[in-house]
Amino acid sequence: MGAVQLEITAVLNAVLYFTGCFSLSGYRVSSDGKPPKFQPPPKPVIIDRKTQKEERRFLSPEFIPPRGRTDPLKYYLERKDMIQRRKVFNIPEFYVGSVLAVTTADPYASDKSKRFVGICIQRGGKGLGATFVLRNVIEDQGVEICYELYSPRIQAIEVLKLEKRLDENLMYLRDALPEYSTFDVNMKPVPRMDHEEIPVNKLQVRMKPKPWSKRWERPKYNIKGIKFELPEHKMKAAQKWSQPWLEFDMLREYDTSKIEAKIRKELSEELGK
Amino acid sequence: MSLWSPPPAGRNSLCGAARKVLAADAAGPAPPPPPPPPPPPPPPPPPPPPPPRTPRGRKRRLLRRGGGMAGWARLARLGGRFWAAAPSPGHRGQLGFIVRHINSSTWWHEHLSEENVEFLKKITAEEYKAQTASKLCPLKDEPWPLSKWTPDSIRVGVVAVKLGMMPIWTKSGEKRPVTLLKVQDCHVLRYVSKEESGGKTAKLLVGGKNVSPFSKPESAHEIFKEAGVPRKQKVTTFNVTDDAIIKPGTPLYAAHFRPGQFVDVTAKTIGKGFQGVMKRWGFKGQPASHGQTKTHRRPGAISTNKAAKVYRGKKMPGKMGNIYRTSFGLKVWRINTKHDIIYVNGSVPGHTNCLVKVRDSKLPTYKDCNKNPPFPTFFADGDEELPEDLFDAEMFQFTDPSVTFA
Repeated sequence: MGAVQLEITAVLNAVLYFTGCFSLSGYRVSSDGKPPKFQPPPKPVIIDRKTQKEERRFLSPEFIPPRGRTDPLKYYLERKDMIQRRKVFNIPEFYVGSVLAVTTADPYASDKSKRFVGICIQRGGKGLGATFVLRNVIEDQGVEICYELYSPRIQAIEVLKLEKRLDENLMYLRDALPEYSTFDVNMKPVPRMDHEEIPVNKLQVRMKPKPWSKRWERPKYNIKGIKFELPEHKMKAAQKWSQPWLEFDMLREYDTSKIEAKIRKELSEELGK
Repeated sequence: MSLWSPPPAGRNSLCGAARKVLAADAAGPAPPPPPPPPPPPPPPPPPPPPPPRTPRGRKRRLLRRGGGMAGWARLARLGGRFWAAAPSPGHRGQLGFIVRHINSSTWWHEHLSEENVEFLKKITAEEYKAQTASKLCPLKDEPWPLSKWTPDSIRVGVVAVKLGMMPIWTKSGEKRPVTLLKVQDCHVLRYVSKEESGGKTAKLLVGGKNVSPFSKPESAHEIFKEAGVPRKQKVTTFNVTDDAIIKPGTPLYAAHFRPGQFVDVTAKTIGKGFQGVMKRWGFKGQPASHGQTKTHRRPGAISTNKAAKVYRGKKMPGKMGNIYRTSFGLKVWRINTKHDIIYVNGSVPGHTNCLVKVRDSKLPTYKDCNKNPPFPTFFADGDEELPEDLFDAEMFQFTDPSVTFA
């Protein structure tokens, strides 16, 4: 019996010695000969992709209330009306730079409805009065139409191409070459997978010769999507109007993260019903 | 003729010491010495440090003129007296000094300890809640006799808070701007009979929006104590006919009005301060160039030669705004009974969150539209069960599908 025990311990010692070369904490030979302490395995990190996706999901900019002294009750009532409208009529997610087709009711058209296709160049307004401007060039004539998102006369909003651009405001397309604002009226919707990130079109637009409607080279517009072919000295002269202190102005800071989180929660509850 | 004359010769022309000596002489020989005084009383506790005096005269002018680095240095030197003064126990400021108004007015909890302040606030909040709760059932509380509406009766109005504006759409797809008015804590405060007021009709005083009672004296709280309601920010008078009188203490709600009726809204306009003639009266001014010397926004001529005077009421620069104005004939599009909100067409005078007075329109065009309103007012504990939202027939409700022109 004693001999077997000795054998076993010899074998164990050999195993321990052998496996001591590898740095396995469970098998490390402790200096004072005591059995090694049990180290539990590291906990797995669970990445909840669903909640992450919900947090990153699009919140329409007209839901975020502007900074002011208005009672939040007024924004709450407006949001209730907006949610009610969204339950009945689908307002899709879109950004400035996406191509949309909007069908509105028109008492004077033969079909009593009108369809317009264009690129969204601006999204303005807050609350129920939110608007978006669509631009297209039809028979060499530039046409811009400003639609109200919550107007009851809109019968359908279809996103033909969902993409973002380098700027939040594409008003400079008025002074760009017409090819950048022309979109086929019978364009087919571009198919897109749900989980894909929104593509950013890094297109740099070429402009018509100056004069433009606004001096787009000036830093106050902060335009990244124009390929400026102006001479160097003109670009340098435009930097004279830069206001580098503006980004450090603390009174202009408006942190919407908490407000956004609350509104997202409210929206997901109400629209999920 | 000079405005100053030397003082009359006599007692006042002598200095104090001289006056004392004369008085002693006139009194006669010195009286016998008085008995030894009693032992002195225990010394009183040291008085609290006097509040720092705002500087007068030259120092005040210096403070006012302080600008740039030199001004701040002067301020620091003069303010040494303020900043050395220890803050009083009731003061909660994080800063080490007390900034006082020129007349050194105090705020209500300046001389109270923190515990007492908390206690008072708690007590007032509970009292307000109890008072509001006790007034929630006016019909069970022996109301004054109710009568039926006649075309000649004028009923009471309501005090509301202007929340803001938003667009609504009609069933034909047209957009209309509306103002949201919230009826917040509106109670009837007092009934003044025709004979008492000396007018043609009886009056009802109505108050709106509860406010803290601490910044006003007790005498101002009498009217609220009589009615048993918390102190209100705005108190207005409504002229009512005798069949429309209401017992003081009755709460008034937004359901007092119904969609489709027309109202007049009165409020104080936004104050613009002292304004010139172009902004105040819309004058055209003068051209910017072509030889105009220092005259671009002036009124020009103010009268004719023959008149030889300036007429009374001539439009001239002056204080603009901050006066009561009424918008007449505004349609009520929607009533929200849960939050007590009235959606009124168009714009209303006053800034956001100001208090406005809303009453039935007295324009003859809308006499037919205001028929059969809740008379004398809407009682929440009555038999009527109203839905959360009441809409006008013409208004587009967001539960409907999009508008189509068939």
